[in-house]
Order: sequence, then structure tokens, then C-alpha cells
Amino acid sequence: MTKNNGSKQTEQLISLRDLHKDYHTAAGPFPALKGIDLSVDRGEFLTVIGKSGAGKSTMINVITGIDSPTSGEIVIDGAPIHAMTEDQVARWRGDNMGVVFQFFQLLPSLNLIENITLAMDFRNSYPLKERKERALHLLEQVGIAEHAYKTPSKISGGQQQRVAIARALANDPQLILADEPTGNLDSRTAAGILDLFEQLVDQGKTLLLVTHDEDIASRATRTITIANGRIVNGHVDGN
Amino acid sequence: MEIHARWTKILKDMWNNRSRSMLVILSIAVGVAAVGMITNGSRILKRDLYGAHLAGNPSQLNIYVSPFQEELVTAVEGAREVEHAEPRRTVGALVYDQKNWEDIRLTVIPDFDDIPVNQLTLEAGSPTPSIREVLLERQSAAGLGVEVGDEIVVEMSDERRYALTVSGIVHDLYNSPYAISGEASGFIKMETLEWLGETPYYTYMQVSVSENQTDKEYVLATGEMIRDRIIEPAGYRVSRTDIPGYGSEPGEHWAQKPINGFLLILQIMSVMAIFLSGGLVINTVTAILTQQIRQIGIMRSIGAVRSQITQMYVVNILVFAILGLILAIPLGLLGAWGIGLLAATFMNFNLGPIDISPGLLILQVVLAIVMPVAAALYPIMAGTEISIYDAVYQHGLMSKNAEKHGLINELLHKLRRLSAPILLSLRNTFRNKTRLAFTMVTLTLAGAMFISVFSTRTSLTHQISEVARYVNYDAAISTPGGVNKYTAEREALRIPGIEIAEGWALGSATVIHSDGVEGTDIELVGLPYDAATIDPDMIEGRWLTQDDDWQVVVNEDLLDEESEIHVGGDLILKIDGMERTYQVVGVTSKHLSGERAYISYSTFGKITGRQNEADTIRVRADAGKISNASTQDELADLLEERFENAQLSTSSADTQHAIFSYFTSAFDIILLILIIMAAILAIVGSLGLTGTMGINVLERTREIGVLRAVGASTNAVRQVVVTEGVVVGLISWLLGAILSAPTGFVLGSAVVNALFQTDLAYKYSFIGLGIWLVIIILIGVLASLAPARNAVLLTVREVLDYE
Repeated sequence: MTKNNGSKQTEQLISLRDLHKDYHTAAGPFPALKGIDLSVDRGEFLTVIGKSGAGKSTMINVITGIDSPTSGEIVIDGAPIHAMTEDQVARWRGDNMGVVFQFFQLLPSLNLIENITLAMDFRNSYPLKERKERALHLLEQVGIAEHAYKTPSKISGGQQQRVAIARALANDPQLILADEPTGNLDSRTAAGILDLFEQLVDQGKTLLLVTHDEDIASRATRTITIANGRIVNGHVDGN
Repeated sequence: MEIHARWTKILKDMWNNRSRSMLVILSIAVGVAAVGMITNGSRILKRDLYGAHLAGNPSQLNIYVSPFQEELVTAVEGAREVEHAEPRRTVGALVYDQKNWEDIRLTVIPDFDDIPVNQLTLEAGSPTPSIREVLLERQSAAGLGVEVGDEIVVEMSDERRYALTVSGIVHDLYNSPYAISGEASGFIKMETLEWLGETPYYTYMQVSVSENQTDKEYVLATGEMIRDRIIEPAGYRVSRTDIPGYGSEPGEHWAQKPINGFLLILQIMSVMAIFLSGGLVINTVTAILTQQIRQIGIMRSIGAVRSQITQMYVVNILVFAILGLILAIPLGLLGAWGIGLLAATFMNFNLGPIDISPGLLILQVVLAIVMPVAAALYPIMAGTEISIYDAVYQHGLMSKNAEKHGLINELLHKLRRLSAPILLSLRNTFRNKTRLAFTMVTLTLAGAMFISVFSTRTSLTHQISEVARYVNYDAAISTPGGVNKYTAEREALRIPGIEIAEGWALGSATVIHSDGVEGTDIELVGLPYDAATIDPDMIEGRWLTQDDDWQVVVNEDLLDEESEIHVGGDLILKIDGMERTYQVVGVTSKHLSGERAYISYSTFGKITGRQNEADTIRVRADAGKISNASTQDELADLLEERFENAQLSTSSADTQHAIFSYFTSAFDIILLILIIMAAILAIVGSLGLTGTMGINVLERTREIGVLRAVGASTNAVRQVVVTEGVVVGLISWLLGAILSAPTGFVLGSAVVNALFQTDLAYKYSFIGLGIWLVIIILIGVLASLAPARNAVLLTVREVLDYE
């Protein structure tokens, strides 16, 4: 069952067809994904849950283009991600997708504003003079504008994750993917981050979030469960 | 001003890693500065020495003739092939320098207002000395401590003393300066020589040919033509014709060949410095990229394409390169000034402005930009090639290589008796083998060069000590014009303490080839077959025996010049115009004397008509061993006094140790420059080790945190890091020791060949090896102290944050 999203478009944004991913280990090939089929509509807040090693992070990595599938198709907003080169994926991702990592992955030498403007810089998405203003606006949106000129090491983990979310929004992507974004945070801070994600969904963003925490999953519009490289439960009701 | 965030990142990374940035900048600067120093030093030397030499119209030919008057030169100048000819005569005398009597050579110049070749440059006073006046060469004037208007007292061979007024001080580029020869030099007119009690005549002429001035064959052929068609038909005898200098080509500075050879060696060393700098840049850039792999992955995850990342790091290197260049240009100029100053003092020339040629500037710019970018391109391409997945998720985990069980790893895992920190240091040393290899190559090359310089010195010292066999005396005194051998020996033996006195006769001869053509001019030495003041090293054949009359022993230098000569074969020598055939019975080793033939004393007397005459008396206090330096000096003083009183000679006596110290001091200047180059290489090597240790510590932050967490003390952590640095140093020392054997031979041979045009008797320097061991341990400790300090400052919490 899905949440009532009011006037949001319900057309398909992500389409995964028979997605396989094998890892080569010393013990031989290890199939991490064994034929994933999935559709995600625009404006959805989808959580992917599963135990450690189930394949949920692998799935999000191949969707973001961070890792490549062994076989299968990934089409996002009509773009065949599986057929693109690394650079093509990088460009496409920079323009259309925001990625949030568990360990924030901010660049330590840059202050918060610069971490955000760097994403605009690589895609040349806003005029140079407007970038700082937009970065400040995004920091305001995630509630830490007062720390704008600090480096990541000077703020808390929760604040760093907020910056990572602001960076993911830098080029105003329609899709945000987050891999265990609260996995490294205490529960109170995690709740704040989830509120932030919900606000983004309310603004029309599509959110795909990987977690092993079923409480977080309960806040999504849809949850899928992955076990042993397969989707074992395609539709779990949210609250 | 708004600046793109990616450039902000590069600048901030550079600033945040100031030490490492400085390492790269210094690496580039040292290499480029070394090239600048040597190239510009060479250019300045060529400009100021060779240029000034050429400006003074150098002669291409010296012709030594029996006593002649100026009219003969007029006839020579009449030849179409001759541009200029000038008669000269040089006489030896003694000059009193307020403390001792020193040797001085007084050269007669016919017309000081018109010196056509080998012109002097006036530095002070009048250019034209009158009778009883002398122009002193500037180094001699400084050495004697006299100025224009002062008087010098000279003592001629007849022991009479004369006061000469110094009317001017001149600069002479055409003769070995006082700093090298230890002999003062002055210029007088013929009337002054006559006043000094000498008969007025000339003994040689300096000739410049009218065409093909640099063609050796043409110049020598012109010399033969002058001899055969002009001088000898006029009734004079030519004893020798040669091109001035040590193996120089016609018109070249007298020391041009050795200088150029030495500069070539320095240039090769500067190219090595550039290669080492390049290696260091590769090492450091690889380290930077290793450290930033995760960041590269993040940048790609937010939309950066590979070319943008590559561009960022190339720009990073370019900034380093430009900063390195800014440092290198003045450093190179400073080094060139140092080399120029050293050379100018030693070779007696005026150092001009220390500037930089556009060509060298371009070379330095190209080297500073191209070398680091070219060196860094591969690590940059390899570093940016990594997938985002590997960069973000796999980086920092145990690498696949760590799982490999190579021979070294297996050996290290078998070491059980060492303490845990030492074992950890040893294993750490071999963890990143590529980085270790780069550091090792840099340090090994630096070490090999350093030891090679010392081996060169040891070899040169050995070469000189080999010469001792041929100057196997305590003191020797020359008796110009010849004295009775037996009288002179008896006088010498009257000196208390002298046990052996030997009179030798010296002369010159010309080798005549089997086709009748004249070959090399050689020195002919007549000596007793059982001479005690020579201990020849026979390369082939045997030494002279009692029965040898028409047998000769030649040295290897002559063999190099005359390929026809062989033991058992004939040697035709022209002595005083007479050609005779001798049998070659032996060859001695080279002994820095030039081409020589030894012949029995009695035969020498017969063929020269100078029976019982001796030109030099060599003495020893002890038949069993050479005396120490102070005894030699005492003997020399006694010998001088005795011979002066007995009216046998007024010359100053030589001692064996003085001959050696003259050679050694000349070598020391050359070796000093070589050691400076080796030090530059050592600096590059230590920069490399510092960089490597810094990166190693950075990479092992988590491991160090774990060590701290399990209770490792500050000293234990420091010990792990410093031991690793020292281990790297010691391994490079071992490799450098092995490599230095062949490189030392090559460097030593090149130096000896450049300076003496002879082969090296190679000796490995174990002292150099020991000094480098101390230096490398110091480098190992110092290079790892700063990284070790960073390591001990890390807290466990910081380590967790890092991960």
C-alpha cells in the first residue's frame, strides 16, 4: 500500500530488469544480486531493508552507477544507466541524482559551502556567482547555515550528514539515494535526518533509502526486503 | 573573487599538507637548480675563461729553437701560412717573498706595446716595463704580497741578486697560474734580462697560423714547414714543436680539455639529479593520490568526470612546478656563481656578470614544468582510473597485495626473536613495495654517487702514491746546466743524515717512426741501472740491468702515444739531431710525468756528449724507508744550503711530500665540487624518504591507533616509525655500496681521464662507505622524526574519526 501523495506524478522513474551482480572472491564467484526486478515511481519514498550481506547496498550501488551490474538493465528516467560509460554515468548522476553515504564522505579540506558548490562546479550547473548563495540556501534548508564556513571535522556526525544531504541536493536532482544514512548516528539525530528526508519527498523528490532498521522503513511509502540477493517482499505498507 | 570549488580544494589541500607540498616543491627545485647551476656555471666558465682567452689572440703553436735573435721571427712571419709569431724566452729564478725564496719564471717579451699573441691585460701600473722593471702576473703579485712601485729581489742562477721594480700588474691567461703551479710569473724586456747577467737571446717562438687555426694537423704541418724551410736552413736547431696545453686542440685554453671533461661529469650528475627529482615527484604524487583515492571516488559520485579529476591533479603539479621553478632559478644562479667563483680563483680569470641565458631559462622552465607533469602523469592516470566503488568502499581495507606471500614476507614472518615493535617496523618496510622501490632507487643512487666521489678521491690518492715509486726520494735538487755527478753526490753525502745521493741526467728526444716521420717528443732520463730513488712498477718486460747500453725502458704514457712501440722491438730516438736505434726491454706504469724513456746513465753521457754530468740530485736519509715530511723539509733546506755553498745550484729543493700535497690540493677543489653534487643527490634522497615515511604513517593511522589502544607507549610508536626509516636507509646503503663499485670506477676514470688523459688505478673507498653509513642512518632518523611525531600525537579517537 502506498501513501497518498496528492498531486504528485505517479509515472515510473526507476526500472530494474533482471539485475544480476556477481563478485569474484577467492572462494569463487559470489552472486550478490540474483535477478532483481523493480520499478520506482516519481515521488516515492522507497526503503530497501534486509540483513547484512543481503545485497541491499549492492543494489543501491548499481543503481547509482557506483558499481556496475553483471547483467540486467537499469533505466532511470529513460536513461539506460547499465549501458553508459563511467564518465557518462558520472555526468548523468551529477545532473540527476544525489547520493548520501553512511559515512557522509565530505571532503575534509573544504568548508561546508565549498563541499556543496563542488558538486555544482563539476556539473557547471549554476553560474559561478550564484553557487555560494544556493549552497547557503541548501544549508539553511538542512538547518546548519550557521556552520557554513566550518570544515567537516568541526561539526558533529549528524550535522555532517545534513551537509551530505545538502550536497546531494546541490544540482536539484529528482532522485536521492541514501545508503544507511543514519547508520552512523544516534537515534535522536537519525530522527532529525529522517524528518529532513520526508520533507524532501514532500517537495517532490524521489527517495531510495537503504537501511537495516525496520522502524525507519516504516516511515517510507514503500519498502522492499532483500534477502540472499533477491527481493522477497515487494510491497510493505508504511505508516 | 569567486573561485571554482575544485581549485579551492587543490589550494587548500596544498596548504593543509604544507610539509608534503614543500617536499615536492623542493624536489623539483633541487633537480632544476642542479641543472641550472651546472649548465650556467659551464656557460659562465666558457664565456669568461675561454672567451677572454680567445680575445687575447692565443697562439696555436710553440716552437722551441736553439738560441736565436728577433730577426728569425721576422723571417717566420714572412711565411704565408703564419699570421703572427713572437719570440720569447723564459728563465727560472728565485724571488724572495719576505719569508722564503720562491720559484719565479721571468719571461722576456720583445715589445710590450705590441704583443701579437697571448696578450697580457694590464691591471695596474704601466703596461711597458723599463729596464730593471718587471710586470708581475696578478696572482703572483698577490701571492708575493707586492704592489705597483714595490721592489722584488730575484736571485739568478749565478747566485747574484737583483732588485726589480714592479712597474705593473698584468693578467696572463696563457700560462698555468700561481695557484696551480706554485711558481710566480713576471715579464721583463730583453735589456733587463741582460742586466740580470744573462746573454740576450730567445729560446722559443709562439706562432699563430693564418688559416685553419683549429685544425691540429694543419697547425702541426705548418710547424714542420717553418722548421724545415725557415728555421733549420738558417742554421738553428728546433728541439720541439707543440700545441700549448694539456692535450688541447690548437687555440684552446691550456686546460680546456680537462675542464670540459670535468664539466661533462658534472652535467651527467645534474641529469641524474633531475631523474632523482622525477622519481621523487612520482613517489609523492602517488602518495597524494593514494591518500585521496576516497576523495576522488566521492568527487566522481557527485558528478566529476575523469578528465576533470585528472585536470585538478595536473594543475596541482603545475602549481608545485611553478613554485619549484621560482626557487630553482635563484638557487641555480647562486650555485653557478659559486662554481664560477671557485673556478675563477683557481684558474685565474675574471668572473663576469652572473646572469642567465634565455636558452637556459627556457630549459629550466621546460624541465620544471615537463619533468614533474610527465613524472606525475602515470600515477595521476592510474589514481583516477579506480572505480568509485573501489575508491569509496574498498580503499583502506587490506590490499590484495598484502595477502601475497612473497619471499621477503615469508622471511619476515619467520623472524620471531625480535621485539614486536621492531618486527612491525621490518614488516611495514616491505608493505608497499612500489613506494619502497622508488625511495630505494633515489637513496641508492645518492649513496652510490656519494661513495663514488670518495672512491674517486681514494683512487686519485692511490694514483699519486703510485707516483711515489718514481719520486722515491726525500728531497731532490735540480742543477740547471748540469754539474759533475760525482762532485754533486759527494757534496750531498756530506750532509749529516743523508745515506743515498744519486745524480740523474735529463734530456729530450723525439721518437722517429719506422717510415722516418717524427713522432712524440719525450723526456729522456739517464740513471744508474740500480738507482735507489726509483722503484718502477713494471707493466711488461724488465728494468735496466748493468749490461744494458742500447736498451731502454719506456713508460705506458709513451706506449699510448706510439702504438709501434713494444717490448723486444726497436725504438728510434732522435737526440741532438742524431738518430739511433734502441731496444725496448720494459714498460713501466704511468706516473703523471708524460712520455718518458729511461736509459743507462753511461749511455746517456755518450749520446749527449755530457759524460759525468747530472741535472738533478736525489737524496734519501734512509735506504729502507722514506722519511717523514719534517725530515724531508730539513733535508731540502740542508741540500739547498750545501749546494749553494758548493756553487753547484741555487735552485730550491723539492720534497716528495710537497709534490703530493700540490697534487692533492688541486684534486681537493675538484672533489669538493663533486661532493657538493653528491650532497645535492643526498638531499633529494632524504626528501624522498621523508615523503615516504610521512605517507606510510598517514596510511597506517588506524594501525597506529590500534597500537595506542592496546597500550603502546609514545616511545614504542616512535620506535616503530623511526626504525622503519632507518631500515629503509640501511637497505639503500647496502644497495648503494654494491652499485658504487662500478659507478665509482666510471666516475673516477672520467675524472682522471679528464684531468690527466690517463687511465685510473681504481681503489674503492671504505671510508666513504662508512661516512655514508653514518649519513644514511642520520637521514633515516631525521626523515622519520617528523612523521613519528605526528604518529605519537594521534589519539585513538582521531583514528576512529579518520576511518
